[in-house]
Amino acid sequence: MMSLSLPLMAAVAVLGLLGIGLLGLLVTRNLIKVVVGLQVLVKGALLALLLAGRLSGQVQTGQTLALTVIVADTIVSVVALALAVQVRRQFGTLDLQALSTLRR
Amino acid sequence: MNPILALTWLLLLPLVASPVIYLAGRISFRLGATAAPARWLAVLALAVTGVPLWFLGEAVLAGGPVSLSVGAISLRMDGVGLVVAVTVMALTFLVSIFSIPYMRGEEGEEKYYALLVSMAATMVGLGCAHDLFNLWVWFEAMTVTSFLLVAFYREQRGALEAGVKYLVQSAVGSALVLIGIAFVFAQTGTLDLQQVAATAAQPTPPQLLAAGALFLIGFGVKTALVPLHTWLPDAHSQAPSGISAMLSGVVIEAGLVAMLRSLGCLAPAAATWGALLLGFGALNMIVGNLMALRQTQVKRLFAYSSVSHMGYMLIGFGVAVGYGIVNGAAGGFFHLLNHALMKGLAFMAAGALLYSLHVARGSHAPLTVDDLNGAGNRYPMTAFALSVAVLALGGLPPLSGFMSKWQIFVAGFETRSTGVELLVIFAAVNSVLSLAYYAPLVNRMYRHEPSAAVAAGRPVSFLMGAPLAVLTLLVVVLGFWPGLVDFITHPAAVHLVSIFSSGAALAQF
Repeated sequence: MMSLSLPLMAAVAVLGLLGIGLLGLLVTRNLIKVVVGLQVLVKGALLALLLAGRLSGQVQTGQTLALTVIVADTIVSVVALALAVQVRRQFGTLDLQALSTLRR
Repeated sequence: MNPILALTWLLLLPLVASPVIYLAGRISFRLGATAAPARWLAVLALAVTGVPLWFLGEAVLAGGPVSLSVGAISLRMDGVGLVVAVTVMALTFLVSIFSIPYMRGEEGEEKYYALLVSMAATMVGLGCAHDLFNLWVWFEAMTVTSFLLVAFYREQRGALEAGVKYLVQSAVGSALVLIGIAFVFAQTGTLDLQQVAATAAQPTPPQLLAAGALFLIGFGVKTALVPLHTWLPDAHSQAPSGISAMLSGVVIEAGLVAMLRSLGCLAPAAATWGALLLGFGALNMIVGNLMALRQTQVKRLFAYSSVSHMGYMLIGFGVAVGYGIVNGAAGGFFHLLNHALMKGLAFMAAGALLYSLHVARGSHAPLTVDDLNGAGNRYPMTAFALSVAVLALGGLPPLSGFMSKWQIFVAGFETRSTGVELLVIFAAVNSVLSLAYYAPLVNRMYRHEPSAAVAAGRPVSFLMGAPLAVLTLLVVVLGFWPGLVDFITHPAAVHLVSIFSSGAALAQF
């Protein structure tokens, strides 16, 4: 039986998170769910950074990078949710279909 | 001034000024006055930042890169970073003056200036990041400030829609860049741009090629590589006009510099990156031009024209990266600087007309090409500035846009490669095609009867006109004496080519 090593499991989890995040972005029309999809996507990237730290033998650097990304990612989410609040106020809905008033 | 001290001040001054500007504006507003202190503090902060930039520029041009280490973070101002810093600070200063009448009395005026100044600082920082992850952090900081500025009119549906599109696409791009960074880090164990290039195995392992592709796509969202450009026309047309000038003039170029830097650490595969840049360049030119042809709103038209101008820059840099031709990179940097001036002028002149015709009368309607009819009679200075801008963008000699395009085309022929030569001819045809939407604008302004909007428009204030006059002068002067900026674009080009060719030299072993 093939043994599942920790890096392999992490790699599978990275791919899983990225896949779920991108799929979520593609199928959902709700703005809040889009933000959740982005979050899942970035979590995949975070895990990838931690895994890279482990693979290159510099666990601490990997963790430092991940912590910085968490901060940056939180700021982006806050801005995204603030936009969502304004969208709800101005459009009366969170449906992305409503956000297509601008001409191509 | 000590160059290291100058670099510290260059980054610190605007970053410290930003919260001070916000607080000063807020306090003054609360005390019952206007947010006027914020305006003048922003202009002052940007003007004062020019002093360390001057000393740093002298040091970098005379003695090569200046490094600064803060803990584990190392910053390094080299020729490429200097071009970015000079372009950003010059345009931001002019935009801040332009914005004084444009944004007067808007709700949240103090936030606008605080964000504008910090956006400039993040772009200067991006130019001198010397570490792949540090590059990402500056890039992300720039992106967040630009989200807030794009959606500045937060009661406007169009601005919100543009903000959401921009945010979602940029956030996905940032995540892809992070995964690319993880690939590089896992493979080489370092993130320092020079060390990555030095330690990468030969031939380039697939993991690093994947990382390069992720950088290309991730930064490509901000650089508006077709087909990742869909956020650009919305964001650039819905933002306040000063911010449109910033976005088109420097933000997308900063994305391009970030992309070149990140690809630079994967230099052994330079031929691949060069070919990809050339391919995207062709795509950007044709799609940008064809879409611009069918626009009826002036700011949207200019936004699509930015997509096509990004194509010319990509061709210049693609030639430099793929074939190691210094002239290509020099042309690319010249066009980068030029595009900041030309597109800054175009957006600000259009903004001045938009303000006089619509905003000053309380309307948030977009400026359509029909509104420009007869503007030459009532707004001679603004119409002249806009004409100079669009003709320079269209590449009419002897304006500056022609000179930088010409340098890129000449560099393309230096490659002696039939494919690139055909591509240059294609680019030249595109340049002519672009006149098909620029020339009618000039025609409308001077040869049509004034539209109702022009007849009812307000005058353009002096503070709006002054930056337009400065930029018009620069565009004309650089057209007659393109060598004036060689002293800054040439070292940057030599540096960029040396980054990529060091990898190419390694590849021969």
